[in-house]
Amino acid sequence: MADLNEGRGRDLPRSRARFIAFGVAAALVFTALAGRLVQLQVVDGAAYARRAATIGTVELPIPAARGLVFDRDGRPLAVNVPSWTVKARRADLPGPRTRIVLGEVARITGVDARSLRTRLDAYTGSPYDLIPLARGIDRQAALVLGERAGQLPGIVVEAEPVRRYLDETGKVDGTLLSHIVGYTGPVDSTELPELAAAGYLHDDAIGRAGVEASYEEELRGSYGSRLVERDADGRTGDVLETVREPVAGANLQLTIDAEMQRTATNALRWGMDAVGVEQGVTIVMNPQTGEILAMVSLPAYDNNKFATGISGSDYQAYLTADGQPLRNHAIADIYPPGSTFKLVTSVAALEEGVTTAGQRWPTYGCYQIPGAPAGQCLFDWNRQGFGPLDMTDAFAVSSDTFYYQMAIKLGVDRLGAWAERMGFGNRSGIRLPGEAEGIVASTAWAQAQGRQGVFTGELAQAGIGQNVIAVTPLQLLNAYCALANGGTLMRPSIVRGTADAGGQLLEPAAPEVIGPIGASDSTLRTMRIGAREVITTGHAYNIRDLRLPGALSGKTGTAEFGAETPEGTLPFHSWFVAYLPSAPGATDADLAVVTFAYSAVVPGNVSLEVVKYFLQEHYDLDQDLRLDPRDFSLVAAN
Amino acid sequence: MGVVTSTFGGAIARRPWRTFDVQLFVYLALLIAFGIVMGYSASYNDPAPAGALSQPVKTVIWAAIGLTIFFVAASLDYHWLQPFSGPIYLAVLVLLTLTLVLGTNLFGAQMSITVAGLDFQFSEVSKVLMIVVLASFLASRRERIGRLSTIVGAGALMAMPTFLVFRQPDLGTAMVFVAILAAMLFMSGASIGWMAIFTGLVVGAAPLAVGALQDYQRQRLFCFLDPYADAQDACYQLVQSLNAVGSGGIFGQGLTAGRQNQAGLLPVQSTDFIFTVVAEELGLVGSLLLLGLFALLIWRIVFIAWTARDALGSMVAVGLAGMILFQVLVNVGMVVGIMPVTGIPLPFVTYGGSSLISLLFGMGILESVRIHGEKPTF
Repeated sequence: MADLNEGRGRDLPRSRARFIAFGVAAALVFTALAGRLVQLQVVDGAAYARRAATIGTVELPIPAARGLVFDRDGRPLAVNVPSWTVKARRADLPGPRTRIVLGEVARITGVDARSLRTRLDAYTGSPYDLIPLARGIDRQAALVLGERAGQLPGIVVEAEPVRRYLDETGKVDGTLLSHIVGYTGPVDSTELPELAAAGYLHDDAIGRAGVEASYEEELRGSYGSRLVERDADGRTGDVLETVREPVAGANLQLTIDAEMQRTATNALRWGMDAVGVEQGVTIVMNPQTGEILAMVSLPAYDNNKFATGISGSDYQAYLTADGQPLRNHAIADIYPPGSTFKLVTSVAALEEGVTTAGQRWPTYGCYQIPGAPAGQCLFDWNRQGFGPLDMTDAFAVSSDTFYYQMAIKLGVDRLGAWAERMGFGNRSGIRLPGEAEGIVASTAWAQAQGRQGVFTGELAQAGIGQNVIAVTPLQLLNAYCALANGGTLMRPSIVRGTADAGGQLLEPAAPEVIGPIGASDSTLRTMRIGAREVITTGHAYNIRDLRLPGALSGKTGTAEFGAETPEGTLPFHSWFVAYLPSAPGATDADLAVVTFAYSAVVPGNVSLEVVKYFLQEHYDLDQDLRLDPRDFSLVAAN
Repeated sequence: MGVVTSTFGGAIARRPWRTFDVQLFVYLALLIAFGIVMGYSASYNDPAPAGALSQPVKTVIWAAIGLTIFFVAASLDYHWLQPFSGPIYLAVLVLLTLTLVLGTNLFGAQMSITVAGLDFQFSEVSKVLMIVVLASFLASRRERIGRLSTIVGAGALMAMPTFLVFRQPDLGTAMVFVAILAAMLFMSGASIGWMAIFTGLVVGAAPLAVGALQDYQRQRLFCFLDPYADAQDACYQLVQSLNAVGSGGIFGQGLTAGRQNQAGLLPVQSTDFIFTVVAEELGLVGSLLLLGLFALLIWRIVFIAWTARDALGSMVAVGLAGMILFQVLVNVGMVVGIMPVTGIPLPFVTYGGSSLISLLFGMGILESVRIHGEKPTF
């Protein structure tokens, strides 16, 4: 027995005070808890009961249908189609076995497992949110995933609308209009905090390029919201009520005529292929309203690839492709305008009193720059010179030495001021992302480069649109539109107004005016006659033989750029810009067109041939006067 | 009770169980019954999948296992614990380390190991085992009890398990370990002055521990200060709980009729928030009844501590009383919004086999203290 009682002798003394203290502490704990219960359940019970009735709900957004995009004849260009998206809810994924689940999803959908994992890990929101892992998976894969839902915890397949971009026939083909319509893409996590304030959701889409981006607000509409039951784990259940109905985004009717866009695309592609050019632009515009009827920038890209999230390799391919297909060369890039810029020099010279319309000036094979050492002269393209010319004739034959004299007499700042009045050096304000400003030389511009001013040689070259002048194709066309409509610089527009679901115009947007260019009617009339003479007596060659419904007027241009080739010549771009009034000199033209071909180093003017082809097709002429621009004997240069 | 036959030195056979503490047994039995009833209600709309046992049935099975252990522990002379305290301590460290390494992920914390399909939370068992280890240590200190080395030694023993559960991360159990240590040191007669200094140090280090927490833990921790500030996210659980408790009123909405509970709006209602169900469905009356049972139980355990024949028995009792009191305070306090939200179970009532079995093991030792600690009557 003794062994059992062994420990008792080593007993610790027990402190009565400490036992009482423990008892008091316990009493305090129970009193505090009981008191709080009385407060919650009796005193404030009714208030908590009221809260209890409403707190199990959460307000969730109802996405609005994105507005559709139509062309001016109501052809659908951007539509919403259902698409399948694989999503994951992290709270339901089976912990360490998530890898196996993702592997299975990858096998069924054909999407790389690593990219699924990356999207899952990149999301930092609530574990109960559905995280989109792969969009635009095919129907078959969606069905298989649906059937196997039991074996794939945490994986959900949802039907979501995605954008489809169509061509003029309704075929799924984004390449015709990608630079205009643009595309939408998923919101990414870095920009989400800012966008969330504007009501964007973590799995939302947002316009990334073209009209999709610049008209994002109109197209997106306004999201509604509904009250949904929510359980303690944060899962949502039945919809209780709709708090706010979503308002679908506005449908837009573009100013674009998709058929004309196709005609212009075909003509440009033909010309570019004929001479092996990598970049080209054709824009068609209504000079009276500023509406863009067609705007082609080649090469183009397929915006449908972006609608469901473009793959890294496809995107890389676009970034490194020849001709920069992702850039809209019509507005985003600037090029020397060459002789087409002589319009500006002419208007400035007439308005500033440097010359009168009838005054004749000598022309030269090579023009000696005043103040420069003897023998340092600038060539005319025609190295014999043309003899004395008045303004109209000089414009028609595009005499360089005539315009060197005009530019030097004007000075760079008066020339530059007129260039700006005609829309150069500033964004036109067309509502498309990424428009460039261009370069117009001035004393201030030269000083910003650390020089005292523009050199006389540069000034002379500015007079023929070379060296210190750079424009977007749209700026150039818009300047000729101002000439064609009697002197008003219009703001180029791309959207005609809102449309109904069938694409018919609901609310037309009023044409916007940038301002009058400020030249007198007589000056402009002189230049319109000159532009007509370019076609009839100048060297625009056989385009005069087209049986067009009007008196085509315009200007060719060849713009040297870059570095000399081993043969001692410079590569050059080719331009042709034209408009079609009812009669020579009239201001009623409703169609103007420009074509630009990058580095089109052939004897002929490929842009002229492209416009010729476009006009033949657009006016459905039974003529085909196209010439091979590579044929030197048909030179129609400058 | 009858006579329990045992091979343990024949000692038990000669001791009739007339000193078996009936009060202790009644209180804990009522608490277990309370837990089964509330578990039934909490899982009322959440039926077990076909072929699986329902939650109340599982609790009954666990209670049966636990009561078996209870009676075995009661029948054995608790002095066996003293020589085994070393191996028990090693076992605690090994099991907690295993849990940390192998544990599966449950609501963001690695808290259990699955043995033969039964999720077993070693952190629950380790609480009772650490009480035994500390009791042995303190009982062995005798007249040296007032020295600083008592506090340092006990703190050193507790440090490793506390660190291991904190890393799981199981903040709740880590806090319980600290509470057990404090209660046992205080009641053993350790130096008040030194304890005050160490308490100051722990309080001073608290911001460091808070800094080591995951974001979600920190957010939940501070919800109780202003739950409605973030009612939709971090403090969602607490807000739901307060609304349910408040809407219970005096008499409650009736068993299995609590709106929040039955709508699935309460967070983990069978486990950490089981008291919310009590308050919502049984009202103030039921809540106070349950708190009263706990008060009686703790009173009885403190009585056992006071009357125990030796320090080992007294210290085990003190540790269990401190543990249960602390868990009631933190769990119920969390439910009613006066304590931070941490995952500490309500003893006997919260659904979970490991907690129940461990507690019954501890209660069995207390019965043994009563039975085997009495003076021989012959």
